Amino acid sequence: MIRFVKSIQSFTIKAGAFIKRDFLIEASYSLAFILEFFGVLATILTFYFIAKFIGKGANLYLQDYGTEYFPFVLIGIAFKDYFTSALENYSKIIRIEQMTGTLEAMFVTPTKISTIILSMGLWNIIRTSVFILVYLLIGIFFLGIDLTNMNFWATSIILILTVVSFSSVSIISASFVMVFKRGDPISFATGKLFVFLGGVFFPITILPQGLQTISHFLPITYALRAMRYALLQGYSVKMLTSDIIVLLIFSLVLLPLSIFIFNYAVKKAKNDGTLTYY
Amino acid sequence: MIYAIETVNLTKEFIPSKNLINLHSLFFQKRNSILAVDNVNLQIGSGELFGLVGPNGAGKTTLIKMLSCLILPTRGTAKVAGYSILEDEEKVESSIGLITSNERGFYWRLTGRQNLHFFATIYGLSPMQAKKKIKELSIILEIEDQLDKRFQEYSTGIKQRLSIVRGLLGDPPILFMDEPTMSLDPISSRSIKMIIKKKLVREQGKTVIFITQLLSEADELSDRLAIMDRGRIKVCGSLDVLKNSLGIPEVTIEDVFNYYTID
Repeated sequence: MIRFVKSIQSFTIKAGAFIKRDFLIEASYSLAFILEFFGVLATILTFYFIAKFIGKGANLYLQDYGTEYFPFVLIGIAFKDYFTSALENYSKIIRIEQMTGTLEAMFVTPTKISTIILSMGLWNIIRTSVFILVYLLIGIFFLGIDLTNMNFWATSIILILTVVSFSSVSIISASFVMVFKRGDPISFATGKLFVFLGGVFFPITILPQGLQTISHFLPITYALRAMRYALLQGYSVKMLTSDIIVLLIFSLVLLPLSIFIFNYAVKKAKNDGTLTYY
Repeated sequence: MIYAIETVNLTKEFIPSKNLINLHSLFFQKRNSILAVDNVNLQIGSGELFGLVGPNGAGKTTLIKMLSCLILPTRGTAKVAGYSILEDEEKVESSIGLITSNERGFYWRLTGRQNLHFFATIYGLSPMQAKKKIKELSIILEIEDQLDKRFQEYSTGIKQRLSIVRGLLGDPPILFMDEPTMSLDPISSRSIKMIIKKKLVREQGKTVIFITQLLSEADELSDRLAIMDRGRIKVCGSLDVLKNSLGIPEVTIEDVFNYYTID
């Protein structure tokens, strides 16, 4: 028990060091952060006017969510960034660390590989969360989105499970980068597929039956649906139990699997002598 | 006797990856393996300053990377600080510091202090310990007043000193140095060599294994040295032993090197 507490403590301190490091690097590129903020604004306004253009035509398909197109799509695009960022997060970071030579410097320390890989992506998750908040705040204060029904606990649980399951897919993707240096088929395929089939821009009920079946195998479908219900309709944890269980299963299976695959990839790279090649 | 480093038939064979574009080579061409390190048997005592010299491609860096657990051996094994590189990876990593001449390996947008603080944390130091250790080491390496500049603004000499500081953060008993004076001007080079020999080895009792292409440097620094060529240790011992091994009076280290590396 004491050992477990110590390892959690050690992980937290080291993860904090990774977050601080990435924050300092990010802060040294302040203009990029400001430009990204304007990018978010442009995206929101684009969909605001698309929603205006569509008018009430989409409402028929959105009855389940009890809302119009703009609130529906705003949550979709805000969380799409979350999903795509989480998906590409680790593979991109591993590639950068390989190219800058810092991966070797980290791997020669007594820190566990699992701690290194899990900590590497944390800053991006925090950063994207801030942008999601910006999306929602702009929607609420300037574009008339009503989130007064939001259920905080349900939203938080879904958010955590979403981050865990998507980050796990990204760690699997980083394993490909570790071995093949390029060619990251997992995040490419899943990224495009998730956006198309996961109900980011439209409800999956408008898809043909075959595609709807496929979408039920994707974690994004459950994450987005549950998130919309929790944010727009105020569904409680109990009301979202089935979606939460599905996300929990995805997380429980994918996280250990991804760490196992990443450890295997590191071992393979050490065996091939290509750990620091890029 | 427990050695700081002990290798037994340590071997590394690399198998080149297949060319996916050339179908003939992909399916029909046999891949010839490259023997980078060939049955190396070494014993290095605690507190020794051990030089590893050899021509380019001799396998020196591969050997050090195997001892640092960054490359897995194909055959054989090694113990570093008494721990197996195959079974006690974490303990080996706690016992070593790897210092390369590579300017990569740091975050160029961060200051020297920020870089060192990050690495100190993942070496397991608390914030207070890290602060104290960075101060102590930066005084030894004479870079205390340079730490708050961004890494990208440093000269090669300062970057090299930072690399040494980083390698020492975990206070390891064993240091691997891959060409620690490469690209340095003579003054910086002399200063770094003094720090290695006087402060790290003689005062602190650390074991240092350093790679160098400069025979004069190997001559000046090492207690013992090994000449490596095509993956094999050709000869190993003190400079006198190496010179005597030729059986010719008044030989230089260059003569010894040429004798063992030129066919």
